[in-house]
Amino acid sequence: MGDSRSPKYRQEIQQMMFVSGETAEPSIETTSLIEEIVRQQVIEILTRSTALATRRGVRSISPDDLIFLIRHDKAKVSRLKTFLSWKDVRKNVKDSDEKGGGDAADFAGADDPIAGGVVAGPQDVTSKSKTKRARIGLVWDVNSFYSVQVPEREDEEDEEEEEQNYATLQRLAAADERTKNMTKEEYVFWSECRQASFTYRKGRRFREWAGFGVVTESKPNDDIVDILGFLTFEIVQTLTEEALKVKEREDREKRRRGGAENGTGENTKKRKRETGLFDPPEEGRTPVEPKHIHEAYRKLQATPNKSVAMLLHNGRIPHRTPLRLI
Amino acid sequence: MSLGHHHAWQPPGHLRPSDDFNDTRSVNGFSKSASGSRTPQMRASAGAEGPQPGNLISEADMAVEEDPRIALFRDMYRQTEAKINALFSGTLTSDEPSEPAVAESHDPDSKSGRAPEPPSHPDPPKKPARKLDDDYDDYDDDDDDDEDADAGDATESPLKPKTSQEPSGLPSPSHRPSTAASTGPDGSKDVKKESLEDIRKKLEEDKKATEEAAKRSFHTLFYTLENDRDAMLDQQRLEESERQVEAEMSGQANAGNNNSNNSSNGYGSLSSANLGASSLTLKNLIARIDMKRNMVQASDAELRSLMSEVRKNRSKWASEDKIGQEELYEAAEKVLSELKAMTEHSTAFLTRVNKRDAPDYYTIIKHPMDLGTMTKKLKALQYKSKQEFVDDLNLIWANCFKYNTNPEHFLRKHALYMRKETEKLVPLIPEIVIRDRAEVEAEERRLQLAELDGAEESDDEPIMSSRGRKAPGKSTKKGTAPAKKTPGGSEGPPGAQSSQPPAPTRADSDVPMEGIQNGFSTPPPGTQTPSDPAGVSSAARGSHDDSMESDNLMSSNPVLSALSAPGVELEDPEYKVWKQVTKKDRALIAAERHRLFKGDKLNFDEPALLRTKAGMRRWIRNQKLAAAEGDKTESNTREPDAAGETLAEGIEEEEDRVIPDYYDVMSGVPDLPERLAWREDLEGNVVDASEEFLRILPKGSFTQTDSKLSRKMDANMRQMQETRKVCSKIGIVKQMQLQSQMYQNQFQKYQPEPFFEQDVPPHVMNDEGPVVAPWVCKAALQRSVAKIFFHAGFEEYQPSALDAVTDIASDFFHKIGETLKSYMETPKVPATDSQEVASSASQWKRAYTEPEVVLHTLSSVGTDVESLELYIKDDVERLGTKLAGAHDRLKSLLTELLRPALADGGEDGSKAFADGSEQFIGGDFAEDIDEDFFGFKEMGLDKEFGLTSLSVPLHLLQNRMYNAAQSQNTSATQARTLFPPPVPYSRISPEKVPPQIGLLKGFLEEKLRNNNDEPLVEDLELPPKQRPPRPRLPASGKIQGPPPAGPNSSPQKRPLPPSSSSQNLNKLGSTEPSKKKVKKNSGVAMGLPGAEGDESTVNGLKAANMKGLDGAADEVPLVAEMKSADADGVTVAEESVRGSESIDQGRPSDAGLTNGVAGEHGDI
Repeated sequence: MGDSRSPKYRQEIQQMMFVSGETAEPSIETTSLIEEIVRQQVIEILTRSTALATRRGVRSISPDDLIFLIRHDKAKVSRLKTFLSWKDVRKNVKDSDEKGGGDAADFAGADDPIAGGVVAGPQDVTSKSKTKRARIGLVWDVNSFYSVQVPEREDEEDEEEEEQNYATLQRLAAADERTKNMTKEEYVFWSECRQASFTYRKGRRFREWAGFGVVTESKPNDDIVDILGFLTFEIVQTLTEEALKVKEREDREKRRRGGAENGTGENTKKRKRETGLFDPPEEGRTPVEPKHIHEAYRKLQATPNKSVAMLLHNGRIPHRTPLRLI
Repeated sequence: MSLGHHHAWQPPGHLRPSDDFNDTRSVNGFSKSASGSRTPQMRASAGAEGPQPGNLISEADMAVEEDPRIALFRDMYRQTEAKINALFSGTLTSDEPSEPAVAESHDPDSKSGRAPEPPSHPDPPKKPARKLDDDYDDYDDDDDDDEDADAGDATESPLKPKTSQEPSGLPSPSHRPSTAASTGPDGSKDVKKESLEDIRKKLEEDKKATEEAAKRSFHTLFYTLENDRDAMLDQQRLEESERQVEAEMSGQANAGNNNSNNSSNGYGSLSSANLGASSLTLKNLIARIDMKRNMVQASDAELRSLMSEVRKNRSKWASEDKIGQEELYEAAEKVLSELKAMTEHSTAFLTRVNKRDAPDYYTIIKHPMDLGTMTKKLKALQYKSKQEFVDDLNLIWANCFKYNTNPEHFLRKHALYMRKETEKLVPLIPEIVIRDRAEVEAEERRLQLAELDGAEESDDEPIMSSRGRKAPGKSTKKGTAPAKKTPGGSEGPPGAQSSQPPAPTRADSDVPMEGIQNGFSTPPPGTQTPSDPAGVSSAARGSHDDSMESDNLMSSNPVLSALSAPGVELEDPEYKVWKQVTKKDRALIAAERHRLFKGDKLNFDEPALLRTKAGMRRWIRNQKLAAAEGDKTESNTREPDAAGETLAEGIEEEEDRVIPDYYDVMSGVPDLPERLAWREDLEGNVVDASEEFLRILPKGSFTQTDSKLSRKMDANMRQMQETRKVCSKIGIVKQMQLQSQMYQNQFQKYQPEPFFEQDVPPHVMNDEGPVVAPWVCKAALQRSVAKIFFHAGFEEYQPSALDAVTDIASDFFHKIGETLKSYMETPKVPATDSQEVASSASQWKRAYTEPEVVLHTLSSVGTDVESLELYIKDDVERLGTKLAGAHDRLKSLLTELLRPALADGGEDGSKAFADGSEQFIGGDFAEDIDEDFFGFKEMGLDKEFGLTSLSVPLHLLQNRMYNAAQSQNTSATQARTLFPPPVPYSRISPEKVPPQIGLLKGFLEEKLRNNNDEPLVEDLELPPKQRPPRPRLPASGKIQGPPPAGPNSSPQKRPLPPSSSSQNLNKLGSTEPSKKKVKKNSGVAMGLPGAEGDESTVNGLKAANMKGLDGAADEVPLVAEMKSADADGVTVAEESVRGSESIDQGRPSDAGLTNGVAGEHGDI
């Protein structure tokens, strides 16, 4: 655990926020706040998943434990699965690049007709990894219902993927919206920002920051760190988007009130319309402030009815509602 | 007798002073009854008997309006008549003509409700038939009738007995007339009486009407109890005064009793003489009996006792010596008590004026008079005529006016009122001057002798009276009712009553009530103590005289009561009537209450309140009446009821009150559901009403209802089961591949049954509504939870887990239910919609519509329609498709595993040999191993996959063989298709050495020399056991030089590999003939070069080859290495070893091998 006072991810957070739609430069307080929130979330995630792992009788947490924590957010889960499967592919390709590269070269040189049948092997491997990434199976999936492992079949497109595709498309559309008016340089910058990560090539820093070794074992699986990197990005993005919404509402309120002070409601309306039409949305915007983040966080932490349903009608009020994972 | 009974039943409070008491007891004996004339009880009985044939008109009237019981009585009457006829039939055979006539005349009368008989009316047909004899008959008949009828009454309704017993025998309209007509000796007075009677009748009608109305109002109005206390106090005052009177009178009463005793004695002697009838009334009867003495089958003693019974129930006023006394005194007493009962006005006149209250009173008033004094005088028999009595009454009022001169004085008002009442009542007292019996008898005889007709008339009268009596009985009951209550004692606290002087109280109190109640023809309240039939009958036989007298008296009562009602006009008339009618009862009830709560505390000493059957019956009857109210046919509807119930009531002591039911808290009967009633059909079988409310719980109450969702879930679960079945088969096949030996019962058959929800067994319910069976419900919920578990993929669960989740689920549903309820019970809000204005009723509407309620509830428990829908979509429907996909895949996997047998086996299995597995050459496996050794048939695999033969291709048994077969198969096909196999090299013989290169020549020659110049034999051509052990690459990776030549001709260049490998090799060689082929191939390929220097390479290759075969080498690296390792056999071997260790993939091995060989050849 590092010194919590000194922010370690200011730049990354800024980039992430930028990707998430915050165009202005957020203050250091804002980023620090976000960082703290993210850290709290990460620690919570680690704690819970460690508990889960312990319950299974394992000391180290597995990706399944992490995914289990966010299992209700189906879109997120499926994106995570995609991410993991691509990561797998990348790793496989890297491996086969290292090892099988020579073979391929050799084979390429061999024009012996007999080789045709033999070559199929390595080719299969590569083609498989290219066209079809290994599907990440979750313990609670249908396939685990049975004692025998269900063989994969390539022709089947998972419905969940469709759903995930839909979510991805939404995100891409939002990103597209944000980058529509960008110049080439801006877009390059934006693309760079997209790569911001808490973990990528910063494994050690992240481990310290997130309290590995205290909360959980100190040597996490590579997958775990990657998943956490993915999740942290998600957290920042969700927070930022929510905060932006809050801020927008506040601004609108402010404008309305200002308009009301100045003159009639009609005036306000007109002006509103004007803003919609002519105000360059990106410019002159003030950055998101800590209060917006606070509000967004509060909203995200709101206890849904579902978790208090059992407390209706004379149920006891719990001492403390558990932290909600964003 | 009846008196005796009466006493037995009467509460102590009712007992007269000792003298009276004795007297009454003596009444049981005939002689006493005569003397009893003066005791109040006698009076009562007389009243009851009163029925003298009177004007039947009144009876007819009554019949119409009166109790349905009348009909019953009539029937009884008829029966008794028939009986009597039978009794006398022997005696009267000579008189036959008259007999039937009489009977007939009676019958029609009774049937027609006596309407046809006019008061004065001897029946025309009868008259001729009747002579003196008739008189006798009639008398007999009447007496007997009375007796029987009474007996019947007694058994059937308590009412009757009571009437007979009650001293205050109540005048019922029917009596009145009869008295009027019959006032026996005073035939001359008939006319006058009739006019009187008319008045009375009219009054009575009025009275009845008002009372009917009042009674009806019981059902429709609720009167508050606030007046009860006043009523009680008034009543107490009244009783107090009467007690005083009684106390003063007791002495005189004794004297009176003595007198009566005497008279009764006189009668006794008369009866003993059998002819000297001192009783005028019985005179004719006795004469008649004497005349036909030989035909009457009874001893003298019997007759005497009969007589005594007949004589018994006479009024207390009855006197043998004084003619008219009974009538006069009855009437006077009634008037007196009526007046006294008007407690609102009479209070001041009840007792003598106290000197302390009005010091100068006696100076002003010289002849003081009050009602109490009058009562005393009455009891002392000091009144000789009506006039004396009336004078005394008027004296009271006059005194009042005289003393209270102030016109505003309140007493004057009372006096005025009382005087008015008096004027109304006085006409009801018959104008009688009491005469001595002797005198009357003389007159009577004279008349009799002189006129036969007169006798006839008198005959008729008794008849009428007997009839009339029955009817009156009913009406009288009511009147008596109050009296009985006073006694309340029969059921209530004796203490309270004991304080009351019975006799006067009773008499007096009865009077007012009677008046009031006479009007009621409705079923009567009034019966009180059931006297046993005998007693009753004896009572009924009371002398005619008595009855006549009492009738007269009674007749006046109705008038009194009728008048009293209208008398008070100031208040709401209905209320007034109510007050008057019920006053007495209310007072009594209030008094009882008062006793129960003495000093605002519960009085523990009071007897417990008990409910009685009779009370409850009455209550029910009244309820029915109330229900029937409004029907014009009231009387009709009532008749059956009354008839049915009187029977039952007769058994019980019953007490009637003119009071609404809500006063009778003890007898209230809750409304019972109709179906619980005990009903019988015509044959008397109990009607079983159970079918109407028992029901069988409909099927499916505890099973899942059929719905799309449930069907989908069921399908999913079924799918899972099917898939698991496939899984188990796959597992078995895999297990068979791994295991070398199997046992028949090693694999359990996995044959899951489809789920079936069991319903509860047929269950009979007693009522509407859901079954409340918490355990069953919980079990059902548990089952549902288990289903969801299974649906979520759990195959088995621990009961505790199931329990926990069930509890949570039930808790959750409880919450949902409560939330739903609270939303549904939200107070209505005013309807604001203008559209709803149309219907004024719907000014309020529910706060939430039903969909709103549901949505709110869902939201408050943290879910919504979308998430529910999502659940169905994701967790049910999509799960279904996923399951189907998994099922398909697993099935194809299984098919894959079994494919060789399927695809290659062909129809008859002949093609099974085409896969190159040599095992089949050896013969039929089905013979070596058992038929269906693996239980394929048992598992159903044969059918499923259309296996024609149960013999198992060996490659299925062992993975290795399978792989080997596969690889060979592949290579063979490939060789065939791509490259024709190279011509096998010929053996190396001496002739072949020269063409070889020089390097090899020496080597080969040496070999040949060792072999005696025979052609060299390749290792691979050796039988397996003679083959050299498989060369192995040592750990160093270097191939060692050729070992010193051994005896073995085989070219062995390396030390033997570790024993394990050699064993392995041996085993392979021995058990798996397939190796041979492989070796041959490669051997051929490698044998050709025959170069000594290449020995190592060849060996290396061989090793690699063997390894590859053994573990299914990975040829890719092997081939690659071989290509680049022409010069370096070590590498080849190394790679091949590695390859053999790596992946389990046999297919291309041969290809690789061939390739390698080819490459070598090329190089060579």
